[in-house]
Amino acid sequence: MLEVLTNPSRFFEARMKGEESLKIPALIILISGLIAGISAFLITGMTMELLREALPPEAMGIASTIGGIVAFIGAVVVSFVIWVVFAAIFFGISYTFKGEGKFKRTLEFVGYGYIPMIISGIISVIFMYYFVYYVFPTMSIPSVTDPAKVGEALEPLLKSPLMQLSSAIGILFMLWSANIWVFGLKHARNLTTKNALITVAIPVAVYLLWMIYQMGAM
Amino acid sequence: MRQTIPLFLFLVLIVVGISSAQVVEEQKSSVMITSYQISPEVLMRNDIGTITVTVNNMELYKSVNIKDARMLSRDIKVLSDSYFNIGRLGPGESLNLTFTIKAICPDGIYYPRILVEGEDAQNIRYSIPVTVDSSSLTIGIKDLPEDIFKEERARIELVVGNPRQNTVTAVKIVTEELEVIPSEVFIGALSADESKVASFNFTPQTKGAHVLNFKLEFKNGDNHHSTDLGVPLDVTESKKNAELILTGIEVESMSGMNVFKITGDINNAGLKEAKSVVMKVGDSEGVEAMHPYKAYFVGLLNADDFSSFELDVKVGENETQVPLVIEYKDEDGNLFTMTEHISIERHQGTTSSGELPLSVIVVLVVVAIFVIGAIVYSWKKR
Repeated sequence: MLEVLTNPSRFFEARMKGEESLKIPALIILISGLIAGISAFLITGMTMELLREALPPEAMGIASTIGGIVAFIGAVVVSFVIWVVFAAIFFGISYTFKGEGKFKRTLEFVGYGYIPMIISGIISVIFMYYFVYYVFPTMSIPSVTDPAKVGEALEPLLKSPLMQLSSAIGILFMLWSANIWVFGLKHARNLTTKNALITVAIPVAVYLLWMIYQMGAM
Repeated sequence: MRQTIPLFLFLVLIVVGISSAQVVEEQKSSVMITSYQISPEVLMRNDIGTITVTVNNMELYKSVNIKDARMLSRDIKVLSDSYFNIGRLGPGESLNLTFTIKAICPDGIYYPRILVEGEDAQNIRYSIPVTVDSSSLTIGIKDLPEDIFKEERARIELVVGNPRQNTVTAVKIVTEELEVIPSEVFIGALSADESKVASFNFTPQTKGAHVLNFKLEFKNGDNHHSTDLGVPLDVTESKKNAELILTGIEVESMSGMNVFKITGDINNAGLKEAKSVVMKVGDSEGVEAMHPYKAYFVGLLNADDFSSFELDVKVGENETQVPLVIEYKDEDGNLFTMTEHISIERHQGTTSSGELPLSVIVVLVVVAIFVIGAIVYSWKKR
């Protein structure tokens, strides 16, 4: 399994000899989603703290718990949706390069590409935990009475160095995933290395540019 | 012989005349002024007082009709009217007559006269000695500390003396000085040649020359009088006070939101202990104390002792200094406050410029090398 990280070309070449199977990729996405869910749970708790004056005290505990669980489940579901969306985009772009192969195979190989993002997800959770429990309490953030302004209030928090570091590491591991996807697409859709690179680079570049924009670096 | 007879007749007439005159005198009743009272006993110039005389019918069986009574004086002004048609005074009875006077004259002894006229009675002319003495009460400093220090309580003792010949009443010392407590000391009556002491506490808030104004108020009879006293003082900084100084100040930027942790030592370089020492962030625009150390309680700080402290503060983008307030009390409970300004230097580690801290960059580079290494390795192996 670790060969997908060090020598993805040989890994996918070997997988091509077997039947398409989504069990392991789905498990990878589930683990990635659970980790993202933990981060979402922590962010929700922080968001609820900002809304402490907008909500009655007795509702705060319930809202935090329910909000956290909803965010957790949402993150898991969104991880699966993004998996499918990415695979569909790659499949669509590779179609222009006369790619051949089933969508299921593309979905399978894109799923393997999520392994680096499990590592970045763990790092992100550690940073998030430290931020929420050690840095956030020392910050003086005015309470938000209008829930519509929560995003505005969260903006400076997410631009703190710790959060920026977490995002930057996420981008690096996304590049690693993209590298795996290049070899995955090459074999799954029978593309040249160049065409596979272009297929992966376009959506990933758009995604990374959007992430960098979110970090406020642009 | 012709000359002897007229002479004899003349002598007889004189003897008869004298005898008949003595008979008429013996028929008039006897009234007397038996006592008098002056209030106040000694007047000051322009004081208003009263003279009360007691007229007594000395007859044992005969009443007397008092027609009028009046007081005459060139120096003392008589304010009250004369008495007319007073009425009959029974045998042995007495009557008090009161006259109001005003001492418009300089100091001295004056003799206003009382005239009492009665029907079938002797007229009375009686002079009463009235003393006018304008000597006021004296007020002076009995005790005063040699050195008076800023924000330290100093005890001031004033002595009030009565050099007058009579008792004065309602004696009190008042002051409007805000830094003097109490604002009034009531002494009450003060007999002739008596003195009493009043104590005040003075806690100056500023150093330099001060003049404390006291007013001595008293009553001579119903007349209000006052005397002022100015006490010049020179207030200096205490030489023996606690003297708190800050050393080893470090300002550490905390991750995010312009929050800084200020740490250092607070030292007592004075000769006295400082009690209940509390350090806090002062009020200033763009500066806000933060949890967990909005304030830091040091407590007792003995002379030549020190303690560490820690404060968390959020500083606005444009602020470069943080006011640090140090509060402590002396052994008398007097509160002292001093403010030190700590400079905030924004290094790379701060987020104000939007740049990432160095440590973050190092972590990022390491991770980037690792990821790029993995990618490069995978391309070599393909």
